Amino acid sequence: MSLRGRIFAVIGIMVAATLVQALAVGWFESRRKASNDAMMRAETRFEHQTRMNRVVVELEFEQRSYLLTGLPEFRAEFDRRWTEYVSLPTVLAGYIDDEKDKLALTRLDQQLKQWYALACDSMNRRTQLTDLALVVRDQTAPPMRRIQNELDTNQRHDLALLSEKVTTASDLNFRNALVTLALPAFDIVMLLVLVALLARILLDPLAAVAESARQISGGNFDVRLPPDKRDEIGALVRAFRDMSSAVQRRQHDLTDALVREREISQMYAELRTNAEQESARLQATIATVPAALVIMEAPSGRVVLQNAAADMLIGREPDEEGDRQRYWESFRASYRDGRQCPAEDWGPRRALRGEVTVGQELIVKPRDGRTIPILVSAAPLRNDLGAITGAVAAFQDITNLYEVDRLKSEFVSIVSHELRTPLTSIKGSLQLLVTDVPMPDPDHRVLMHVALSNTDRLIRIINDILDISKIEAGKLELNPRPFDVHELVHLSLQSVGQIATGSSVALVHVVPKDIPKINADPDRTIQAIVNLLSNALKYAPPRSEVTLDVTQTPAGFVTFAITDRGTGIPADKLSLLFKKFQQIDGADTRKFRGTGLGLAITKALVEAQGGSVGVISEKGKGSTFSITVPVAR
Amino acid sequence: MKLLLAEDEPDVQLIARLSLKRAGFEVVTVNNGLEVLDRVGPEAPDAILLDWMMPDMDGFETCMRLKADPATKDIPVIFLTAKVQESEVAKALALGAIGCIGKPFDALTLGQQVLTILGK
Repeated sequence: MSLRGRIFAVIGIMVAATLVQALAVGWFESRRKASNDAMMRAETRFEHQTRMNRVVVELEFEQRSYLLTGLPEFRAEFDRRWTEYVSLPTVLAGYIDDEKDKLALTRLDQQLKQWYALACDSMNRRTQLTDLALVVRDQTAPPMRRIQNELDTNQRHDLALLSEKVTTASDLNFRNALVTLALPAFDIVMLLVLVALLARILLDPLAAVAESARQISGGNFDVRLPPDKRDEIGALVRAFRDMSSAVQRRQHDLTDALVREREISQMYAELRTNAEQESARLQATIATVPAALVIMEAPSGRVVLQNAAADMLIGREPDEEGDRQRYWESFRASYRDGRQCPAEDWGPRRALRGEVTVGQELIVKPRDGRTIPILVSAAPLRNDLGAITGAVAAFQDITNLYEVDRLKSEFVSIVSHELRTPLTSIKGSLQLLVTDVPMPDPDHRVLMHVALSNTDRLIRIINDILDISKIEAGKLELNPRPFDVHELVHLSLQSVGQIATGSSVALVHVVPKDIPKINADPDRTIQAIVNLLSNALKYAPPRSEVTLDVTQTPAGFVTFAITDRGTGIPADKLSLLFKKFQQIDGADTRKFRGTGLGLAITKALVEAQGGSVGVISEKGKGSTFSITVPVAR
Repeated sequence: MKLLLAEDEPDVQLIARLSLKRAGFEVVTVNNGLEVLDRVGPEAPDAILLDWMMPDMDGFETCMRLKADPATKDIPVIFLTAKVQESEVAKALALGAIGCIGKPFDALTLGQQVLTILGK
């Protein structure tokens, strides 16, 4: 039963009790009233009975008095008394409830009326005075005695009745008074009981729930909850139990979360420590590496980390934004050839745009006026999403490399000069001796020529080494200009003439008449062609032909193709031909003396002029080396 | 024809002198640029052959001085240089020299080369 139902039930009981109480009071009151009415009736009956008795006594008295005296007043009085009497039985009957009493009254009334007839008769006779004896021998007396006895009896009966009624009424009045007094007490008791009942229904479970709540708030989840009833308290208890378990669950969750959080904190602390160690390591590394390292943020390019090497090399940018901009505006970098390096080509700037720069060679002039050649390498830093967050740039001071390079060039130059000076003397002396001094012994002349040709060879080797070192140093200087191909061929053939002389190999050249001028450095182009021709003459078998074919290609080049009928070159060696110090085999080196630099120099000379070199060879049939030179515009 | 030859290397100087003499030149030799400036007045050569690299005063400076002096500025100057690069030649020509002969020179044709440069 629901709590509301129970409360309504309790209130219903109260209302019912009140109604019963009211009905009881009403009933008691009506009983009391009826009893009082009955008492009043009995009293009135008694009064009328008494009056009737008195009237009857007076009737007899008047009759007797008249009979004795004959005085008319008595007769008049008698009649008056009778008149008074006549209505009395009827009136009295109205107050008699008992049928037997009523019949008795009626009989008494009839007796009295009979008596009255007799009385009247006796009085009449007295009036006539006919018979005095009648007076004496009154025949009315006996009935009157009976009547009066009966009346007395009636009166006593009525009195008893009255007494009885009065007692009853008084009892009832007392009882009602008692009831009236007792009711409030009863009401109070009932109220107390109801309140206790309500308290039991309502407050006890609530108190239990409250107690549980207190326990739970104290952290004790093992509290016993009130039994699960199907009412509001039950619902409350259920809700409370749900809440309690939810709270418990949440507390568990919370505890778990706290544990997890502690674990995470520990993990975080470890990671943090690791990261800090890592960072410290990295910072220490960055600080100590000899390379200048700079880390910038994107997109501003503001330097966020810079090591000491970078401070020394390029200086430190000022903190103030304005100063910073002016600093970089006045920061000068140039390429090796002296051209200004625009800001957007500066490696770190390129990195901020997402480009990777490796080994950009620049010459920087920091504010302190130094000029420092550096190698710039820079790369963008990206986040997980690939967005550029900054850039890292490394600068390597290559002053020492430049110095080494300079020293090497100087060394080569000095060595070549120092070598060539005595060779000049030797060669000059030999030439003058061979030409001017007569030598009767042919062996002496041969020996002189051996000395001379080996001197030439030494000079050629030195020239080759000088050339290759210039090429490698990027210091090959070319002076291209429009030049006539016929003259070029003529000069080339003249140069190799000395070698060809005395050889059985025939040198054939084919140059179309309408060949256009080429744009080339004539000395260096002649050197390239002479290199190829000398090689061909060296490798050509006796009594064979070496041809120089000059043709124009549609692409705007002139091709010089030199073909020999030699042993040819194996296909797998072709790619090595144009490399430094490469000859096909050791035997060749001994047989055809050379430095192995000729083709490498040729290739470099031709390519530096925008041309290319090529070779086609067939084992046993010969080889064709070709170079191309751009046509003059 | 009288040539003033400035060459610091005695052997090279000897070869050059013999070679030029063989070609019919009268050769006066000196060892450096300072001596050139000393002797150019008294000797009054028809042409001067200057080595590029010499101690005390190199060919470069000697040539500048010769060309700066009205008395000597009309005497043709030919450089003898191991640096046969175009830039060096261009530099020499810019100084007022009329030609350049690379070293090592050919002892048999040196005289002919000089004559060719002098336009004779």
